[in-house]
Amino acid sequence: MDTLQARQLVIDIPGRTGGSPLNLTVEAGQVWGVLGPNGAGKTTLLHTLAGLRLPREGEVRLGEYPLTEVRRRSVAQQLGLVFQDRQDGFPATVLETALIGRHPWLSLWQMESGDDLNRAEAALKALDVVHLKDRLVSTLSGGERQRVAIATVLTQNPDTWLLDEPTNHLDLHHQVAVMQLLKQQAEAGRAIFMCLHDLNLAARWCDHLLLLFPNGEACWGHASQMLVPSALESLYNQKLITVEADGAPVFVPAKG
Amino acid sequence: MLSWRLSSIVGFLLLLMLAAGSKAGGLCAVDALGREVCLSERAVRIVSLSPGATELVYSAGAGDQLVGAGAWSDYPPEARELPRVGDSNRVDLEAILTLEPDLVIGWTDGNSRVQLDRLAELGIPVFWLAPRTFEDIAATVKALSLLTGHQPLAEQRAGEFLAGIRAIESQYETARPVRVFYQVWDQPLMTINGDELISRAIQLCGGTNVFGDLPRLVPRISVETLLMVDPEVIVTAGRGDTEQGWLQRWRDYPSLTAVASDNLFQVSPDLLQRATFRMLDGTRELCDLLEQARARL
Amino acid sequence: MPAFDAFRPLALLALAGLGAMVLSVSVGSAGLSLADTLAALTGSGSELNRTLVLELRLPRTLAAFATGGLLAVAGALMQVLLRNPLADPYVLGLSGGAAVGALLSMLAGVAGVIVTASAFGGALLSTLMVFGLAHGTGSWTPTRLLLTGVVVAAGWGAIITLLLALAPTRELPGMLYWLMGDVAYAGSPWPAFVLLVLACLLVIPAGRSLNVLARGPLQAAALGVNVRPMEWTIYIGASLLTATAVTTAGSIGFVGLVVPHMLRLVLGNDQRIILPACALGGGALLVLVDTLARVVISPEQLPVGVITALLGVPTFLYLLYRSR
Repeated sequence: MDTLQARQLVIDIPGRTGGSPLNLTVEAGQVWGVLGPNGAGKTTLLHTLAGLRLPREGEVRLGEYPLTEVRRRSVAQQLGLVFQDRQDGFPATVLETALIGRHPWLSLWQMESGDDLNRAEAALKALDVVHLKDRLVSTLSGGERQRVAIATVLTQNPDTWLLDEPTNHLDLHHQVAVMQLLKQQAEAGRAIFMCLHDLNLAARWCDHLLLLFPNGEACWGHASQMLVPSALESLYNQKLITVEADGAPVFVPAKG
Repeated sequence: MLSWRLSSIVGFLLLLMLAAGSKAGGLCAVDALGREVCLSERAVRIVSLSPGATELVYSAGAGDQLVGAGAWSDYPPEARELPRVGDSNRVDLEAILTLEPDLVIGWTDGNSRVQLDRLAELGIPVFWLAPRTFEDIAATVKALSLLTGHQPLAEQRAGEFLAGIRAIESQYETARPVRVFYQVWDQPLMTINGDELISRAIQLCGGTNVFGDLPRLVPRISVETLLMVDPEVIVTAGRGDTEQGWLQRWRDYPSLTAVASDNLFQVSPDLLQRATFRMLDGTRELCDLLEQARARL
Repeated sequence: MPAFDAFRPLALLALAGLGAMVLSVSVGSAGLSLADTLAALTGSGSELNRTLVLELRLPRTLAAFATGGLLAVAGALMQVLLRNPLADPYVLGLSGGAAVGALLSMLAGVAGVIVTASAFGGALLSTLMVFGLAHGTGSWTPTRLLLTGVVVAAGWGAIITLLLALAPTRELPGMLYWLMGDVAYAGSPWPAFVLLVLACLLVIPAGRSLNVLARGPLQAAALGVNVRPMEWTIYIGASLLTATAVTTAGSIGFVGLVVPHMLRLVLGNDQRIILPACALGGGALLVLVDTLARVVISPEQLPVGVITALLGVPTFLYLLYRSR
């Protein structure tokens, strides 16, 4: 697997000068969580890592090569991106939407095969939306649409997953289900890199964390090293009470 | 004896020249676009694509040789019986072809070049008309008669027509000039300049077209311009009932000389707005009206 | 999503197209029987019949089919490009540019091929103008493109009115004839036809990429589509198709809007099926409409654009109403 790597990377946020250069590698088997308040640049970072935006400084590498030198099709076979906002284009069914995940794998004249269809259905099943497969995406609820988006990347089957707040709109049951799915992907040798606004989800499920501060500073590393209350309080500008549950820390915002 | 031989030789040479001159085609005439149209024999299946052209074909004596006409060909009355082939601007090519014409007559101001060129491509001779003067009308009728085999009749009619025109000209040569406004359309307000046939008719009657100097053939003008120019006579198309039609609006401007002298007249458009022999009748009528106007001024 | 499912509707549309063409060739103001028509097509029959069928009706039918197909495919492409099911090929001011090109050359006194070439040049100029103006200081979005197109189209409309007002009387019939459009205008239907076939062949392999592009540019880029080059290509391609259609038969409205939309309602959104379906469906429709225009008040001939508008406006309103 070609690993995704940020080298001296400074993302481009209009109006914000400076920022600590990021130097990290998203290795196989790792589950990264990106934490930070609104406006810290989480989405911009994700899009930069995916090659959809240019960084201000530094570079993104996929394996040995800079991302900009890799063909888009090849990038799409190795990186999958779950967006935070869905752009509603033309009407399409749930199954059709999941199927476009196979696009990077099919050549120009190739039509989708039975195998592609099976993958898409299996992905929909894993996200508990297969019963909706012939429904138009525009008629689904926010949570259902979110799960379809994740199923699309599952169909795409990339080595590295980039997710932008994947648990948005999801009820508790599905939040846990999605996190478990991602954990399984990591255990199967893939790399997960996701932005989360829920501190506790990150604490529970991620083994590596990247903290993005609004002024551009950042720190990253093993979750155990990052889950320091003082750092988190300064990140969110909010006093926190730490509690333990099920062997992992839980952070509760303090009242007053 | 010598002179007899000489004259027969000369006669023979003349015949030869005539034969050579009229080409292998036989009957040749130059149309309004400057193209020479040659037919090997006189045309007997003619399709005429505008009302004016239809009238001129009848004037040339070839009315019986018409097999089809465009919409609005209504004069002479027999023309109404002719099979129709579509409106001037958009003719039905299929209908025309089905009639198997050997000559198609078009009018430059009414028919589309593209459509008639298509007919020409399919091998049908097309003769374009665009008479702008009285002499043009006469020449057009003579050309049509050449192509249809009625030259003597047409020569005579053309001669009468031109003689009538000359007569009017000399009759009103010394008449007091009157300033005339000819209204072609109401909304928008349109008139004609000096190049137009109607304007020439006005001149023959001893009148002057107040807008004769404008550059465009059918200019659009404003009411203010008309008020400034203040014609002595206003003439429009109509059936003679001056209480209705476009003349009515001018009565709102009593300061106009034409209104004050009640010089508001109508002449049937069929007589003045078609470049045909009926222009003679139209011109005569116009001259009578202008004479009345002179009396009132 | 398989190829076999695609074949049935396409085969049906192809049959409809063929049927429409046969009807068009056999019907006209010169009431020929079907037997006469077939005879003429195979080279026998009277010379008059052969001329009627082979020189008048057949080229006209082919031109109508090609024009309808080109407009429908261009419309479908514009709808993907602008991610708006209500876009049509003229939304970017193209037909106005073509009209100004044609009218100017008529005013200059030229005829024939030069008028067509000027129309084509005008159309492409309009395309470049809109694209350049919409680009502005950065990326162009569908909204910017659309708004710029609307403004440019209005500008062309004003110029056309001016040209008509200033034209000498002699040129007016020709100008009006061009503006109202006539499927029989073009001398030869083959350039348009060949372009239609080429367009279909080129666009079908790009079909899946178009499907992905229609989901949004970021999503498409994330799935490996080269978004910018693809958008450029669609834009230029759609413009070429539309320019050819307009120079072949004048501006005929509604075909490029209504045909892709209706086919999408019935066949779904896979561009690999929709684009060839548009070529066939648009062609069949325009052939039928043209036949109607020729015979409904024969020997008076209606301009095709009038009938497409009469059919298109209520259809469009109905589709709009349903889409709520």
